Amino acid sequence: MTVFHFFNCAILTFGPHAVYYSATPLSEYDTLGTSVKAALVYLGTALVKLVCLATFLKVSENDGFDPYQELLKALIGFIDVAGLYFALTQLYHRNISQNHKFQAVGLGWAFADSVLHRLAPLWVGARGLEFTWDYILQGLEANANLVLSISLAALGSLMWLRKNKPKTLIPIIYACAGIVATMPSITSYLRRGLGWHFPKVVGFELFTSLVMAFISWQLFSACQRPSA
Amino acid sequence: MAASKKSGGPRDMLESMYSVIALFFILVACVELCDAAAVVDVYRLIQYDMSGSPFGSRFASLNHHAASLHFPPGADLSRTVLIIPLRELNITFVREYIFQKKPLGGLLFLLPEVFSFENGGNKQIHEKEKMKNVLAELEQLLIHANIPYPVYFAFENDEIETVLADIKKNDAIGQPATATTGGYKLVIPAPEPKKVASPTITNIQGWLSGLKADGEANQLPTIAIVASYDTFGAAPALSVGTDSNGSGIVALLEIARLFSLLYSNPKTRGRYNLLFGLTSGGPYNYNGTQKWLRSFDQRLRESIDYAICLNSIGSWDNELWIHVSKPPENAYVKQIFEGFSNVAEELDLKVGLKHKKINISNPRVAWEHEQFSRLRVTAATLSELSVAPDILEGTGGLFDSRQFVNETAIIRGVKLVAESLARHIYGHQGKNVQIFAGDSSLAVNPAYVRSWLDLLSRTPRVAPFLSKNDPFVTALKKELADHTDEVNVQHENLEGMFTFYDSTSVRLNIYQVASVTFDLLLLLVLGSYLIVLFSFLVITTRGLDDLISLFRRPPSRKVKTA
Repeated sequence: MTVFHFFNCAILTFGPHAVYYSATPLSEYDTLGTSVKAALVYLGTALVKLVCLATFLKVSENDGFDPYQELLKALIGFIDVAGLYFALTQLYHRNISQNHKFQAVGLGWAFADSVLHRLAPLWVGARGLEFTWDYILQGLEANANLVLSISLAALGSLMWLRKNKPKTLIPIIYACAGIVATMPSITSYLRRGLGWHFPKVVGFELFTSLVMAFISWQLFSACQRPSA
Repeated sequence: MAASKKSGGPRDMLESMYSVIALFFILVACVELCDAAAVVDVYRLIQYDMSGSPFGSRFASLNHHAASLHFPPGADLSRTVLIIPLRELNITFVREYIFQKKPLGGLLFLLPEVFSFENGGNKQIHEKEKMKNVLAELEQLLIHANIPYPVYFAFENDEIETVLADIKKNDAIGQPATATTGGYKLVIPAPEPKKVASPTITNIQGWLSGLKADGEANQLPTIAIVASYDTFGAAPALSVGTDSNGSGIVALLEIARLFSLLYSNPKTRGRYNLLFGLTSGGPYNYNGTQKWLRSFDQRLRESIDYAICLNSIGSWDNELWIHVSKPPENAYVKQIFEGFSNVAEELDLKVGLKHKKINISNPRVAWEHEQFSRLRVTAATLSELSVAPDILEGTGGLFDSRQFVNETAIIRGVKLVAESLARHIYGHQGKNVQIFAGDSSLAVNPAYVRSWLDLLSRTPRVAPFLSKNDPFVTALKKELADHTDEVNVQHENLEGMFTFYDSTSVRLNIYQVASVTFDLLLLLVLGSYLIVLFSFLVITTRGLDDLISLFRRPPSRKVKTA
């Protein structure tokens, strides 16, 4: 029964990535290599972040919200953005259209994130006899993260790969990218500073991820129109 | 050098990779971490065989769902554990279940915290007496029954209270916990209980020599003071027996201390030897006392004038009983009784005499003095009980905890025995002389009594589970050595009717589990979610036609090949 629960939570956490890959034209154009490279870049970024966090952050005894620490964490979070920049621009991708490039990079990024952050707790915790809702919520969080990563990759590709953008949209693009990039800090503020419970935080993440996805989709199609 | 380094390189990397993989597998294998809703210390009902017949709870491991007493009538409880708090215990219900051999997964009794010797010492509860009687009755019922499922005792605490409240709520809705409806699961991963191999009983004796005049060839007469120190109860890990017989042990140690003070100075040393005996095997027809006496040589046994056995003198108000097996008209018995009565009058308490004949053919030994009497040594037992207890009754069970024992009673008992003995030893019978007066250096020390009583009320002392080198036995030996000239320890095997089984104290894990239907439902929901996601993505990125084409095989191909 408990391995059953683990299986359920694993489907919830990792299933959407596989479904996304097979459902969209990504599978037709065989962009698996791109996703794998993006996952490896994420790994490298995570290691660099880890080293920086270990060096600069001090461990607080209580679980409260410390503004300076959180600011530091947000700054270190921008290393994520740098990693995404590297994955989008510097890596050699086969001749795939921009449309598919950002999707593949975003997918690889989100998959690596889920595996690194959620696989171990799932394996250790969900197989026990004790039942908690945590792992299901974690799976929902992974879904929200997927959407957020793809939006961030879309905005990133807009920022760095597309040369001719309508002038009015540029600040909006950068603002949205900023919001999405600082999403981890926002959720941590909600959890620690305001004391929201996990279900509420996950609900918020899902909502914002859908909103951000919609906005970035509009931006992307708006930027696509002049070149089309 | 460079070449060898190069060949060593990949090999080293391979080796380190192997170790990493091995570590990973080890980590993966041992992830059955305990993340239970609650972990509680529980104590198992005793399991023993008496003359080959099995008694007590015959199993230790538990892996069933929990239910409370409000289960829907007619429910199948053969794979359920009933959690029964003592407050709600209906003894007829339990009796019915056990005697009619109704199938049950297990029983868990929750005792009020006040009976715990760790925390509950000073708490007051209502109806303490009533609960004590209920517990005594339950204990007797469980000890003499053969129960084919695990029975455990636990103390109430907040965690268990919340779990029990939850279970009661579920039961009230009419949904007892089974594999398909979720609920709580109680898991105790204990191995099969094994027999305790050759349980030992340890008798400790202390000898205080009297003053022998020069040129006196004969052995001085001896007076023996004996108390048995081991207990027997429903839960061996909780059988502290503060009254039966912790009070007796404390009294014996204090008397030994007082007389050692007197005997330390040759001018005040009496002309009697004093023999102090702490015997084991009390609940088992005073087996230890019998072996101890048999180990004496004939001369010593004959030199014993009389023996006083102490049994449960901790919770009486005004009356104590002296139990004898020789008829009351016997000169020695009369002497002992008069000595005690005189002192009792001065101390403002009553002493009664009870005579119970011994039946040699009956193996049942109800009082310790009967073992002496069977070897023709005059002996009497001083006790607050007026009636002889049945076998395995009154041997320090669950209800025999610290709050029911009154140290003033023990102090008065000590005074009674010490004065009576001293007047006999020094020849002051009938005279109004207070040897152990209240404000002298020979006064009974309440702090000593209290500290030993507190120690005893925290030490479970069931003989088969006390090893030869148990720290408590060593402590008793050391204490007696402080007060006497010579201490001897005798180790014997507890043979005969009784066999015991181990596994007395384990940890219970309470898990909150979801039912199988929940998991299936979740699988259904997730499956439909993924299918919806898939269709949504196909429609938005490739178009509706592509989605339909996934399900319809292209008919044109067939036509072409034909």
